[in-house]
Amino acid sequence: MINRALYLRRRAANSVFIVLSIAAAIFGLVWLGFILGSLLTQGVAALSPTLFTQSTPPPGSAGGLANAILGSVLMSVLAVLVGTPIGLFAGTYLAEYGKHTRFAFVVRFVNDILLSAPSIVTGLFIYEIIVVPMGHFSGWAGAASLMVIVIPVVVRTTENMLLLVPHTLREAATALGAPMSFVIRSVTWKAAQAGIITGVLLSVARISGETAPLLFTALNNQFMSTNFNGPMASLPAVIFQYALSPYEDWHRLAWAGALLVTATVLTLSIIARLLENKQRN
Amino acid sequence: MDAQSDPKTNLKTKVDINDLCFFYGASKALKNITLPLYDRKVTAFIGPSGCGKSTLLRAINRIYELYPHQHAEGTITLDGENILKAKDLNLLRARIGMVFQKPTPFPMTIYDNVAFGIKLYENLPRSEMDARIEDALTRAALWGEVKDKLNASGLSLSGGQQQRLCIARTVATRPEVILLDEPCSALDPISTAKIEELIDELSSDYTIVIVTHNMQQASRASDYTAFMYLGELVEYGATEKIFTAPDNKRTEQYITGRFG
Repeated sequence: MINRALYLRRRAANSVFIVLSIAAAIFGLVWLGFILGSLLTQGVAALSPTLFTQSTPPPGSAGGLANAILGSVLMSVLAVLVGTPIGLFAGTYLAEYGKHTRFAFVVRFVNDILLSAPSIVTGLFIYEIIVVPMGHFSGWAGAASLMVIVIPVVVRTTENMLLLVPHTLREAATALGAPMSFVIRSVTWKAAQAGIITGVLLSVARISGETAPLLFTALNNQFMSTNFNGPMASLPAVIFQYALSPYEDWHRLAWAGALLVTATVLTLSIIARLLENKQRN
Repeated sequence: MDAQSDPKTNLKTKVDINDLCFFYGASKALKNITLPLYDRKVTAFIGPSGCGKSTLLRAINRIYELYPHQHAEGTITLDGENILKAKDLNLLRARIGMVFQKPTPFPMTIYDNVAFGIKLYENLPRSEMDARIEDALTRAALWGEVKDKLNASGLSLSGGQQQRLCIARTVATRPEVILLDEPCSALDPISTAKIEELIDELSSDYTIVIVTHNMQQASRASDYTAFMYLGELVEYGATEKIFTAPDNKRTEQYITGRFG
């Protein structure tokens, strides 16, 4: 016999559980909606062509974000150019050579710590080893701190994506008489290509919004500069400075900058997700 | 070194497996296997799942070395030289080709798939390379189907075509021995028939070993058959004899489908 009371209690518990889960999901999404909503209304209102042509202005005069955009692009590109090969080789070591050795275990563990380390710590670290000896803030230091954030992301995704490559593919290439390093370069990397690129894109998305490490390293620069030896402007640093200021026109520029950064990160994340799906199929 | 001839059959022994034991960690998967593989003959390894036939095949080109904790004892000679003592595994594997159960085309064009192995050891001008690739694809009975799309990805082919591409890739490097590990188990009957035909043609130039679950395939495609059970070689002999008048009771039971 079915115990009717027990059955009804289960159904009631089930409904409560579903309602709680949905409510929690909505609670999370509402804030995201608010943030994106106000970012869109305030940011779009502040968009103008001069954003991309003029440098950051003194309060009360017209200007744009060109110097900050350029600085962000320069430092990010340098960080990714140097960080990607390091991450690629380290991830390859873990997946193909190190595997279950003790050393690989330690490297993987340290990499996981780096992956979740607060970026302000990264900034302070680079401040100590580059800014202090040089005696001043610089684009080099900014790029270096971003690179420290890029590497663990690339290491992790490279290893994971290489592990998705079927063993039979490595065996087939090896059985033709190919040495291991050649198998990795010409077959395994190629098979994992989309996934490895995903990792690089994710790392770019990650560093485009980083503020703390740049405040300690590249600082900021009111003028257009391509000189890595001196302080360099960046979008997150400008947003930080202008949003805290008392000036209305600076606030508008900060909104515009925030919209640009968010749009960049969102686009990169979507492309990365698409590529990852392609890799997994 | 001159290869030895078998006094009973008067055939040249290409690969001689002698007292071979194989271990996965501490567990012994092959027990004292002794077996000749005759030059330019097809030898089939048959037996129920887990009997060690694939393990035996994977010992011949030492592909097991890719994994830790696997090792072989005893001797396997190729033209009289001990494979298990070979220093340069890449050169050894260039002489002993292998085709796997699942087709394994590389993520590159059909042309590059076939050129892959050739480029490892030979530096050919483009025209000679083209000729080698046409020859290999023709031998694998694939040329007619792909000659107009050599620049298409190897992954775009059907399963049966992919497996023939893998055979072409192996043949292209001109090995002396070809190991086939259940090459038809993932294929439809038409593709299977094509590959069996192919094995027959290739056997005039190569020493071939085929691992198979399919008894009809072993009886159709091979000259010699080895029946294995629980890591031991139960019976070895001419295929005709094994399938019509086996000496061992278990062989008879297996080939008539009473166990396995």
